Amino acid sequence: MELKSSATIPERALHIALKEDGKCKRGDGAGCFISSNSATTPGDMTERGCTYAGCRGVVGGPVKDAIQLTHGPIGCAFFSWGYRPHLADTDFHMKYTFVSDMNETNIVFGGEKKLLQSIIEASREFPEAKAVFVYNTCSTALIGDDGKDVAKQAEAIIGKPVVFFECEGFKGVSQSAGHHVGNETIFRQLVGSLEPEGDFSRTINIVGDYNIKNDIRTFEYLFEAIGLKILTRFTGNVSVDDLRFMHKAALNVVHCQRSATYIADMMKDKYQTPYINVTLWGMKHMAQALRDTAAVFGLEAEAEVVIERELAKIRPQIEYFRQRLTGKKVFIYQGGPRTWHWIELLRELGMETQTAATTFGHEDDYEKIFDQLDEGSMMIDNPNVPELEEILTKRRPDLFIAGNKEKYLAYKMGVPFVNGHTYDTGPYAGFLGMVNFARDIDKSLHAPIWQTLKSRAKPAPAAHHSAHGFEEVL
Amino acid sequence: MSTVVKQSRAVAINPTRSCAPIGAMLANYGIHGAITINHGSQGCATYPRHQMARHFREPVEVATTSLTEKTTVYGGKGNLLTALKNIVDRFNPTMIMVCSTCLSETIGDDIPGAIDEFQEKHPEITIPILSVKTPSYIGNHITGFDNFLTEIANSMPDKRKKKGETNGKINIIPGWVNPGDIRELKHIVREMGLHGLWLTDYSETLDGGYYEPRPHFARGGTTVEELRSSSKSLATVSLQPLIGGEAARIYERRYGVPGHVLTMPIGLANTDTFVETLTEITDHTIPEALQVERARLLDALVDTHMFTTGLRVAMYGDPDMLEGLVGLIAEMGMTPAYILTASENASWGERMVELTQGLGLESEIILKGDLHELHMRIKANPVDLVIGHSKGKFISDAEKIPLIRMGFPVEDRFGYHRRSIVGYNGAVSLVDEITNVIFERKATSVVSNTLVELGVEGPTSSPITLTNGNGKH
Repeated sequence: MELKSSATIPERALHIALKEDGKCKRGDGAGCFISSNSATTPGDMTERGCTYAGCRGVVGGPVKDAIQLTHGPIGCAFFSWGYRPHLADTDFHMKYTFVSDMNETNIVFGGEKKLLQSIIEASREFPEAKAVFVYNTCSTALIGDDGKDVAKQAEAIIGKPVVFFECEGFKGVSQSAGHHVGNETIFRQLVGSLEPEGDFSRTINIVGDYNIKNDIRTFEYLFEAIGLKILTRFTGNVSVDDLRFMHKAALNVVHCQRSATYIADMMKDKYQTPYINVTLWGMKHMAQALRDTAAVFGLEAEAEVVIERELAKIRPQIEYFRQRLTGKKVFIYQGGPRTWHWIELLRELGMETQTAATTFGHEDDYEKIFDQLDEGSMMIDNPNVPELEEILTKRRPDLFIAGNKEKYLAYKMGVPFVNGHTYDTGPYAGFLGMVNFARDIDKSLHAPIWQTLKSRAKPAPAAHHSAHGFEEVL
Repeated sequence: MSTVVKQSRAVAINPTRSCAPIGAMLANYGIHGAITINHGSQGCATYPRHQMARHFREPVEVATTSLTEKTTVYGGKGNLLTALKNIVDRFNPTMIMVCSTCLSETIGDDIPGAIDEFQEKHPEITIPILSVKTPSYIGNHITGFDNFLTEIANSMPDKRKKKGETNGKINIIPGWVNPGDIRELKHIVREMGLHGLWLTDYSETLDGGYYEPRPHFARGGTTVEELRSSSKSLATVSLQPLIGGEAARIYERRYGVPGHVLTMPIGLANTDTFVETLTEITDHTIPEALQVERARLLDALVDTHMFTTGLRVAMYGDPDMLEGLVGLIAEMGMTPAYILTASENASWGERMVELTQGLGLESEIILKGDLHELHMRIKANPVDLVIGHSKGKFISDAEKIPLIRMGFPVEDRFGYHRRSIVGYNGAVSLVDEITNVIFERKATSVVSNTLVELGVEGPTSSPITLTNGNGKH
């Protein structure tokens, strides 16, 4: 399987595969598995972001009572501020961004002094914040600022944790490296630093959920209904103190297994905290998540009661949507695990995943995708803009599920679209969220606009072209 | 007496500005079929793309050279050469603009050198390839836009020009505006019976229509050929001194095209200056249509003055926009109590002191300011209205003061990129919007300046609340 748009970039063939006769047929003809988590081809118009984005935007950013301070020039802080709806019960983390605002002089003479002063000033302005999270960027890493040392000095002055993330943008091949840095740093510097008293034998941590548009409201009550208490969320709707005592929990329930398995592994090594992997989207997976969690605590019977009760609530609605959606073909393109989380959910709605792609998935993500795909389906790693266009026009999915950047591409091409990254409405998790998801898919597929486009859209009017382009027509 | 102060904190809290590459990328979107390669980390392309998509609600494509740890150590030239080849092969662009980043500047990559090497190796590739310096640690987003225009002015126009040879057009540099603004400016120029050569024109590329089939490149934009002929224009009019002012001077110096650097045409007087400048450049007179529009703006100002006079306004954003906006705010009888910008440009600060005092206004001009600073000032001494981009929403929410959205980015509302704030028409719609926002507040409250002055009530923005007779609201 090769895409025409990538004919001039032969290495792209290694990242594209078809499922044929139950086997993975890679674009270059070799039988072996799809290539992933490797450096992007320069200039291929990738959708990938940087290590800083993965750390500041995904893992650290949702912590609701930390000062989110970027050590670097202004841009990194401005662009990562307030757009990802990782909500919490307070909104300090959404409203505020802090930056040491490196200018040319700082780059020449070093930014350590300014960083120290920035931390002190920020903490003075917002004394109620519980910690300062400092994120390193390309330029400050290159000039060799010792941010770790500054953090230590600052901690002594302000008397609260200053957590320094070495997440400079160029560090990895994608934002995935930033998730790893975020996990390791939070684990090393915060986890285990508070020892509250109490009985934690029936507590769990939800690891790897970021509470996009309040996803947690769709599943936390389910765990509570079977008799468990949520101790810490990593990191959607979490406080610094929650992170500091998260090691007390009896079990880690890991949802996003790309961005957060790291911390579950480290906690298992250091604190012997067991973990289980779950998917909190869709009926089958959500029920399985409750069953698996309950089994650890001997609460199987309670889980069955909850599952039956909740499924009964949504079954009629799901059945309604399933009839409207059956047979539709979907192209899912998400950052990583959501792609494989949703294949089963879509099947429950009668839909087939025809093409599956991720921005920064690793081999284990693609294995999970591959296992669930039907014959003839396509898998593609780190697709770039021309490839996305080609898939949308040649493979003609009925629905495209991707993120904000791809949304307007889909719309310009007349393809129904659901925003799976930040949800146009949401939340989509849990049992109740699945109804929202199904409703949004239904809305996007059956909106009258597609019919209007089909019957009334026209070609672009002729411009007064000179060689390539367009002159103002008077 | 207006005053100018420079914010002194080291840490920036809720900045009003972003960084240089996005300015160059935006400007390059105004060239038909041009593509940007950002030489740096992937985030340096992806973040601005995402930001522009949230503002313009359009697909925004910017290539990156995807520098990683290895290339950072050994230099990024190889990546840049590959990227250039891939972009040419797959997109067939009319022009490529390579802009730098903190990363590529700090490791000292020689971008112009790499471009030369690429062109030597590929003589068959004849499209222009520009290099624009945009490290984030120098200036801010407007610096990137301005550097792009300077580069265009220096390297794109035809150097050979016969004496008296002209293309009959006027170079117009709108600066950092919205597609709707460019369309309004085009309308004025067209009504004047003139031909504009737009540096640059993203009025359609970033606010395009739905076409079946989808064109390979978005419709619209200034063509490379037009850029070539821009040295033969009658004059250059730059409508933002800090974005394009330098380019206008280059056109004058290098190609003998007379330059006019004007204040952004927001409000009556500023638009008048623009229109009058067009009449000075050519012998065209002001057409009936524009006279009617102008009179309509005057009428709107008369109709609304009792609701707007005396109100205190806080405004923030790019220096050029603020400078133009002061004109309209003063014409509406309002006082720009705080004028805050992230720029550190001291001479601009002085100019603003003169401008506001000349208009009989008393303003505090804050340089190197951020939104937290503005919030603290508003808390201490409230205003009736906040004007700026959507990042100031948290101030408006916390203090319950209406926010008039303007500038870049507006990401929490729809369609602001389509609207215009320039020209007579743009001013009329702003006057309407501001007055309506005041009305909306008055629906539940009464603002009384007298009671405030007598010390009976709080400041103007703490309105006296009407009760329904039983003491409840």
